[in-house]
Amino acid sequence: MTTIEELNQSKIPIIVFDRKLEQFRDKVLFPAKLKKAKEILARAGLPKTKKRFAH
Amino acid sequence: MNKPRYLYKSEEFMMIFEFVSEGPKGQIKKMVQYTDTGTENVFNLAFGDYNEKTKNINDLSIANNGDSTKVLATVASTVYAFTEKYPNAWIFATGSTAVRTRLYRMGITNNIEDIKADFDVYGLTTDTNTWVEFIIGEDYEAFLITKK
Repeated sequence: MTTIEELNQSKIPIIVFDRKLEQFRDKVLFPAKLKKAKEILARAGLPKTKKRFAH
Repeated sequence: MNKPRYLYKSEEFMMIFEFVSEGPKGQIKKMVQYTDTGTENVFNLAFGDYNEKTKNINDLSIANNGDSTKVLATVASTVYAFTEKYPNAWIFATGSTAVRTRLYRMGITNNIEDIKADFDVYGLTTDTNTWVEFIIGEDYEAFLITKK
């Protein structure tokens, strides 16, 4: 049984897996937000940083 | 990030998260989704209320369930989970409205010490349209976060 204290103290959260959520895997639930994100990234690009964006 | 937050569920790939807000308005199911933006390794973070009857998401609703800090802390904790699985990912976030974006900025500001210990945080300036390291008090249009 997960306690609230245990949950609140962990930086890496305690996660319950639920197979029912797989039904959303290939769906974009927030299309307007995604469209906005793409527009902003196209306009502004990415930060100049040493960390690579590629995998 | 030791603020109270809700326990949540996810699926194998940790792209979708679900939790239930509890307050005076009752129980409200919330969904968090990380979506590939098409820019390599950059994922859009979005969240909103899920209506089980209509099967629709509303990311413009203002639930007034008295737990907005706890909801934001829960969403923030999904960032830890997501970046644990995808350590090189960059997470893009912006609000549905300017007010929501300011709310996100406040959420980052209130937890900046904890966040900067683990993440690099950038804000997109509204005046020069450039990404800069997040500074408290500055106004931003969007945010990018990546694990250090």
